[in-house]
Amino acid sequence: MTSASAASLTRADTASEATGAAGLVAQGVSVTFRRGTQVIDALKDVSLNIPRGTRAALIGASGCGKSTLLRVFADIVQPTSGTASHYGLTPAEARANRVYALVQQGSTMLPWRTVIDNVALGLEIAGTSKPERLERAAESLALVGLKGFEKSLPAELSGGMRQRAAIARALTLRPRFLLMDEPFGALDEITRDRLHFELLRILEETGATLFLVTHSIAEAVILSDKVVVMTPRPGRISQVIDVDLGQHRTPATREDPRFGHYELMLRRALHHDA
Amino acid sequence: MAQLMHRVVLPVTFGLAVLVVWQGVIEAGMVSKLVLTGPVQIVTALITEAPTLLSNGLITLTEAVSGFVLGSLAGLATAALFIRFGALQRAVFPLTILMEAVPVVAILPVLMLWMGNGMAPKIFIAAFLSFFPMLVNAYRGFSNVDADVQELMLSYSASPEQLFWKVRLPAALPFMFTALKLSACSSIVSALVAEWLASDQGLGYLIISYGQGYRVADVWAAATLACLLALAFYGITAAGEKWALSRRTR
Repeated sequence: MTSASAASLTRADTASEATGAAGLVAQGVSVTFRRGTQVIDALKDVSLNIPRGTRAALIGASGCGKSTLLRVFADIVQPTSGTASHYGLTPAEARANRVYALVQQGSTMLPWRTVIDNVALGLEIAGTSKPERLERAAESLALVGLKGFEKSLPAELSGGMRQRAAIARALTLRPRFLLMDEPFGALDEITRDRLHFELLRILEETGATLFLVTHSIAEAVILSDKVVVMTPRPGRISQVIDVDLGQHRTPATREDPRFGHYELMLRRALHHDA
Repeated sequence: MAQLMHRVVLPVTFGLAVLVVWQGVIEAGMVSKLVLTGPVQIVTALITEAPTLLSNGLITLTEAVSGFVLGSLAGLATAALFIRFGALQRAVFPLTILMEAVPVVAILPVLMLWMGNGMAPKIFIAAFLSFFPMLVNAYRGFSNVDADVQELMLSYSASPEQLFWKVRLPAALPFMFTALKLSACSSIVSALVAEWLASDQGLGYLIISYGQGYRVADVWAAATLACLLALAFYGITAAGEKWALSRRTR
């Protein structure tokens, strides 16, 4: 199981092929950065297929290009060669049609806007009318458990609450893809654990496809059906591991012997590469 | 109560003491009345000369406020253009920094040749000196948007205009008020100095004409009024800052 194509032969994938809907697809994507005279291969010939509705995690040491790959899908970084697509759309089309929503590591709130106005920002940019965007923002806030904090300022919320607000902001766009770049990285472990299960519940309710960049092995296992392991210099995919822990996961899932088994598998995959 | 004592009573007492000692020094004849006059004489001059002081003060204030508004608006617009068109910024910014070094008061005779002896050259100088603080601060404020926010706005396919109005402008607001508070005082001073050099009206002119008549108390009265005007202008700007920043976080 060393290539993406081998890993794409999963149950979810055959189901999506039956309906003719490809998910997140990368074909031979390479990204090189030039820093002075130095040429850095951030990504080298990366191919990947994340079927629709899959929860996928991208894990690797820092500098392995996992955030770059996410930015290629987000149309923030352009591949030097190769192509990427969402449901058959190019990343540029996906961005223009707001097919995906981005959740960043920091919650990046505009400090002068109230929580609800921050959450409604994407819809505001899209030109949605004020009553509708406020209604949808309020719905998303309720979904992440922030009802009652609409009129608060970001500075009045805890780090965990701000990160929930950032997730709510992504959800107001009703995205088919949630692109999350280490969204829980700055949070304490207790808050992180709680948000993991909230995210899983939200994914179940919205049916969105998750593409999560993380450096936490436990986070990758509990949140995903498919873990993509990357290695640095040049950034490439070394393994894709299917995590068969079922659709519905609870805190008890972590006590499942298979959970420990997957953690160990991932740890070995990461250390083997290092 | 103890706090009120420390914050209000102590400085007021000290201020009064300074005034009393000052007046005492004058009354004792320790300093020539041509060199320094006392607070009582200054207040008397403020009252007796009030009509002249106020009408000339209004002229100075008009010049200062007009220059302040024009210069700040021009600085803001230039900063916005610099942000929107990076090439323009790279081409023009060095020249504008050079221009800032021009001792504008020194070229007043040229300005008077172009604009006459009236309010125009004074307004120009006040505007010139209000322009640069706004340009530099507003540009810094507009650039003060971190990469994450820009990336988020890019993911929303926000236009450069949307980025400007929804992010850059509100982010720059505190920076803009830093410039405005600076220019509020400097515009009064620059109008005053410009009048001083060549004018037949305004507080600057009045100070020179009183000085030539050795009317020391009247000079001090005019200076006091100029000081009060600058303080009031600064105070209004600072109040505007409070209001604008509280409105920003609705």
